[in-house]
Amino acid sequence: MRNISSIIKQISRSVLLVAGFAMLGFSGHAQGDAAKGEALFKANCTSCHKLDVKMTGPALGPIITSETDDKWLTHWIQNNQALIAAKDKKALSIYNEYNQAGMSVFASLSDGDVSNIIAYVRGEWKTMKEKPPGKGDPANPQTSTESGPSDLVIFGLIGVIILAFIIILVLNKVIATLERLLLSKKGLLPEETETIEGGVPVDKLATVKKLLKNKKLVFFIILCISIAGSSWTWVTLWNTNVHTGYQPVQPIKYSHELHAGTMKIDCQYCHSGAYKSKNASIPSLNVCMNCHKMVKTESPEIAKIYNALGYDPKTQKYDSTKAKPIQWVRIHNLPDLAYFNHSQHVVVGKVKCQTCHGPIQTMKEVYQYSPLTMKWCIQCHKRTEVNYKGNAYYDNMISVHDKIKRGEKVTAAAMGGIECGKCHY
Amino acid sequence: MESNKKYWKGLEELNNSPEFVEKNKHEFAEPLPIEELLSGSGLMAPTPRRNFLKALGFGVGAVSLAACNKVPVHKSIPYLIKPEEVTPGVANYYTSSYEGHAILVKTREGRPIKIEGNPADLLSKGGLNAQAQASVLELYDVNRAKNPMKDGGESSWNDIDSFVKSELAAIKAGGKKIRLISSTIHSPSTLAVIADFIKQYPNTKHINYDAVSYTGIIQANQNSFGKAVLPHYRFDRADVIVSFGADFLGSWISQAEFMKQYVSNRNSKSLESKKMSRHIQFETGMSLTGTNADVRIPVKPSEEGIAIINLYNAISGTTLPGSQKLNNAVAEKSILIAAQELKAAKGKALVVAGSNDVAVQILVNAINSLLGSYGNTIDLDNASNQYAGNDGELVEFINDAKQGGVDAVFFLNANPVYDYYKAKDVKDALAKVRLKVSFCDRGSNGEGVSTLGDETSSLCNVIAPNHHYLESWGDGNALEGYYTVVQPTINPVYNTRQAEQSLLIWSDNTVKDYYTYVRNNWDKSILAKGGLSGQKGWEEVLQKGLIKVADKTAGTYSFSKDLNAVAQTILTHSSQVAAAGDKVELQVYQSSVMRDGKKANNPWLQELPDPVSKVTWENFVAIAPKFADKLGYKEGDVMKVTVDGYSVSLPVLFQPGQAQGTISIAVGYGRTLAGPVGNNVGQNAFPFYSFRNGTFQTTAIASITATGEKSELAQTQTHHSYEGRSVIRETTFDKYKKDPKSGSGRNAEHKLYTLWDEYERPQYNWVMAIDLNACTGCGACVVACNAENNVPVVGKDEVRRRREMHWIRIDRYYSINDNVTREKEMNKLEKADDMHNMDHVSVVHQPMLCQHCDHAPCETVCPVLATVHSSEGLNYMAYNRCIGTRYCANNCPYKVRRFNWFNYWNDSRFDNYLNNEHTQLVLNPDVVTRFRGVMEKCSMCVQRIQAGKLQAKIEKRSLKDGDIKVACQQTCPTNAIVFGNVNDPTSEVAIALKSERTYYVLEELNVQPGIGYQVKVRNTKEIEA
Repeated sequence: MRNISSIIKQISRSVLLVAGFAMLGFSGHAQGDAAKGEALFKANCTSCHKLDVKMTGPALGPIITSETDDKWLTHWIQNNQALIAAKDKKALSIYNEYNQAGMSVFASLSDGDVSNIIAYVRGEWKTMKEKPPGKGDPANPQTSTESGPSDLVIFGLIGVIILAFIIILVLNKVIATLERLLLSKKGLLPEETETIEGGVPVDKLATVKKLLKNKKLVFFIILCISIAGSSWTWVTLWNTNVHTGYQPVQPIKYSHELHAGTMKIDCQYCHSGAYKSKNASIPSLNVCMNCHKMVKTESPEIAKIYNALGYDPKTQKYDSTKAKPIQWVRIHNLPDLAYFNHSQHVVVGKVKCQTCHGPIQTMKEVYQYSPLTMKWCIQCHKRTEVNYKGNAYYDNMISVHDKIKRGEKVTAAAMGGIECGKCHY
Repeated sequence: MESNKKYWKGLEELNNSPEFVEKNKHEFAEPLPIEELLSGSGLMAPTPRRNFLKALGFGVGAVSLAACNKVPVHKSIPYLIKPEEVTPGVANYYTSSYEGHAILVKTREGRPIKIEGNPADLLSKGGLNAQAQASVLELYDVNRAKNPMKDGGESSWNDIDSFVKSELAAIKAGGKKIRLISSTIHSPSTLAVIADFIKQYPNTKHINYDAVSYTGIIQANQNSFGKAVLPHYRFDRADVIVSFGADFLGSWISQAEFMKQYVSNRNSKSLESKKMSRHIQFETGMSLTGTNADVRIPVKPSEEGIAIINLYNAISGTTLPGSQKLNNAVAEKSILIAAQELKAAKGKALVVAGSNDVAVQILVNAINSLLGSYGNTIDLDNASNQYAGNDGELVEFINDAKQGGVDAVFFLNANPVYDYYKAKDVKDALAKVRLKVSFCDRGSNGEGVSTLGDETSSLCNVIAPNHHYLESWGDGNALEGYYTVVQPTINPVYNTRQAEQSLLIWSDNTVKDYYTYVRNNWDKSILAKGGLSGQKGWEEVLQKGLIKVADKTAGTYSFSKDLNAVAQTILTHSSQVAAAGDKVELQVYQSSVMRDGKKANNPWLQELPDPVSKVTWENFVAIAPKFADKLGYKEGDVMKVTVDGYSVSLPVLFQPGQAQGTISIAVGYGRTLAGPVGNNVGQNAFPFYSFRNGTFQTTAIASITATGEKSELAQTQTHHSYEGRSVIRETTFDKYKKDPKSGSGRNAEHKLYTLWDEYERPQYNWVMAIDLNACTGCGACVVACNAENNVPVVGKDEVRRRREMHWIRIDRYYSINDNVTREKEMNKLEKADDMHNMDHVSVVHQPMLCQHCDHAPCETVCPVLATVHSSEGLNYMAYNRCIGTRYCANNCPYKVRRFNWFNYWNDSRFDNYLNNEHTQLVLNPDVVTRFRGVMEKCSMCVQRIQAGKLQAKIEKRSLKDGDIKVACQQTCPTNAIVFGNVNDPTSEVAIALKSERTYYVLEELNVQPGIGYQVKVRNTKEIEA
């Protein structure tokens, strides 16, 4: 039952939410300057490094925690090329371990910055070791609830019909008994025509035939069937072209669970269009290659990327004549008549990706999470408050100011967000 | 209303012909046969009910089946390696150049979809004309050449190169002539390539050949001042403009530029400072310029020269030998008035003539010299390079070639077999030329035509198809000192090669790549002129699109030649074209839409109504109603016009204002190998040209006969009728000076009753202001709107059925001149045969589009709420809700709603436009295409409004006035259309609407339209006839 499952989902989400917050709280008091370090780490390091897993570069948690020579570390982080050029032993061994792919030079990081980063990494690694990470991000609790009349209503309706049917059967029986009683009282009851004679079988369909002769019953049955039929049609029509759960097979078994969930790669890293354009855009393969030039080069799925690009991992050369694009299957098919702009929602509205796309960080294969119906759009526009703070665009919006003064909710709908021409042109 | 002037769009409306009344009773021309079906025969038919039930059953079944469809699988194919500057879904703009105008090309995911003016453009400051707007569609023309061709079959570039090179080598050894014939080239790099080619093959000569040429002006300037140039005219500096048949707001030299200049002395800003230029036009047929003139006097072609002589006499106070009075009292009187006014405005006067006759232009030079125009309104030192055609040289080439003196000829953007007056001569000449190469981009000509290439290239050995300009590198130099750059915005779509590159290869140039050549050329000589250098300088040019060198001081030139011989030539010439007996004088003109016919395969242009006649998809014989009446022609009768054995049969159009005893026919039609869209549309009028006095002349004596056939013109003029309600307000400049409110009808107070509730528009109220005094009626906005909003082309047949889809139309109203009183007018009109006053009509152009009424009548009647009001003052149209009742169109007082009778983008009957995947690439992806059976209308470019707001939100700032420009406003060279938020009192539109001249069309209905019009002001004087 979808209801129960969604309730369970909700509960599990809130548990995760609490867990997530607890985790955040934990890491919050690691070091005085770890907070600064975290920001720097995320800005500079995460495209190649993780704390616990080897990516383009080594897993930093253990390696930085075990390295005691902070001075050397600082040198390495600020300018590893210089260390390599100076034939530093440790530097060379790392350099050779990673196929002589040099790490970027971070000359802009001051000694203080680097020590902040180190502090953050060590603190974070400690907490990570103590407490295994919870799965997934705290997903946005706001979920979709819309999909025509709910199952409960339908099952209830069917139940009521069955119940009514039983009641009528019983009543019929009662009426028949009463009639018989009446007739027998008057002495009009005909003799039983069929007496049991030597075990001759009774016509088994007799009762059915008798029932069929009962016009009221037949009418009732037809009524029930047509009610059931039309409610089924109604529900089906409402869900025509609603493809919630659509999960086509994609040419590459790309897992969002791994990338967005476990690796915690920011959505924007691949879907940069969502922040600038109406299209979130499927990343071009050069984005994949930023990491997969080094990572998981042996995987047959990654080989598909190499094939598409005409890239030979051995020689590390591209051959554009062999290149052929990958044909992904589009999952979220908004009809052409509706204009949807990602940047409006993601940048201006600050809507989380998960609000519409669901717990994407747990999806091995992506499926359509939301119904993408107009009702669903409008519901959200009616409920979501506009985040006008800090955006000078809204400064002159007299209507908004009036509403705030009156203490009303400023929703997207109140700003004209459910007018036809905002999406249909 | 102060005036009770009557305005009408067509004579059928003026005369209220029964057919017109009948047609206008119905919103839609052809009623559906419902009544027929329900009454009588329909139900008597054998099985109407059964058929109906069958259809119903099938319909229900089909719908249910369709509903059972599985999810359609859409593929999503990302870039393999995404170019850094491309974000899917976000448009990029690149600078480029179209015919010397600096432009911006809007591209989406690497394909150009719209041309916009570059505000820094020297010529038209961001405005563009219809042709420039339409040029993007030509890129996606499926009938472009897909491969190089040799001897009528497809070939490869290697074969072509080796063939042409070996031929050229042999020809060079043989010593015979090589000719390169092109329409005017002003690109410095192309000219340099040609110069290099000539160095390699010294017996080569480059001939500039323009189908519609300005040789007369160029040679007159050579004769008068020793400068063989086309001057830079400055209409913005002229207070008095007198034009003899020069259609400078239409097709003459530089439309968008002259429109901008001209209107700068007539728009709101100028009027508010109590200044308005005066414009007197003498011409034969009604031109777009004539419709805008304050005074327009029809003269016959044979009278034009005499009129100019008389003007000279009146200004100079002398009398040229042979001078004679005009046989036309009105014109004679007007010449004297014009002379007086010109003299009074000395130094701020300008006289122009459209004639290509050298003698006429010399006389005009003399007049301008007397008026002190040189250095003021005419600039000979910063000359225009837009036209440099030399008619004589082409004629010489043809004669040479006919005698076998030419061994090789190259045609670059030139098509003399079509547009030379004696096509047979060209064909004969080409038959004797050994190597004929055309750079024409025409490929197949559609089904049923096996010939490849255009009229000329189909006779060539080699077709080396050129790139479209949006695929090319290059440059432009339309005016002295003004350099623009052409950069490609898409990879070549077909296997074409730029003509310049072909020439480089064939002439064994050291630089084989044209881009490198352009770079070198700019590094060497042009970048320095803009104070730039090197890679950085080049990148800056690519960003800005242009370099402007400071103007040289325009010198004053005085005319000192003897005019006696000139006057004699003019008089002889005039007598040569004066018709006698039952012959008529024929004027061949260039329509401001189709021009010389090079763009005939462009459906956007074919369907753009001619600004004056409102005829689409055809040319016609324009004739004065009274004259036609005398000859016994009705509108639509097919007339056979014959000159020197060449004849065309075209339908007759009654053109008020056409000179009596004359007919006019437009060139640019009747292409036979332009492509399936342009083939056999109208008839070719170029053969009516003649070569006299060393130049091509556009006038002739024609004999006419009725063919007895009829052909209905696809004319849009009366398609959207107001049932005679008054929608035009106008006044004169004198009245305006006394009372700026004059003519606006705003003096009276009315009590308003309303059926509707008020809407709140708390933040934005998008409105528009249209200045009728700035609108010249050119139609650029219509094409811009087509491109921006994916408006379909419907074709001639559908236009005849009144089903054109244009969201914005330009209504052209005639009215009888002011001095005719109401009574006189009525008396005259009652006498059906007396149409004398049709000679002097004045014209108003009114752009009409959805008015976005606050009390919109369409909204009230929509049964499904498909059209509703927004909180931003817009009237939305949700196509997917529309069920096609068409009630809204019936209830719209402005008649601006359009119904989709077909799936124009997916129906084989509309093959000439969007019905192929390739042309569909021109569609704007931010605007949905509409399905059969739904209404559509102007959305006020809501996609641009939404995009503008989003940009502001992302940048966390409030929306500024001018952030959003709608498509029609963006392209308007005269800024007649202003759009904005009227809630912001400082916005341009709020200020414009505060003007005393503002009025609203059909304001009395209290539908509260969102578009304010500003009264048309005419600079007419009381004395005029």
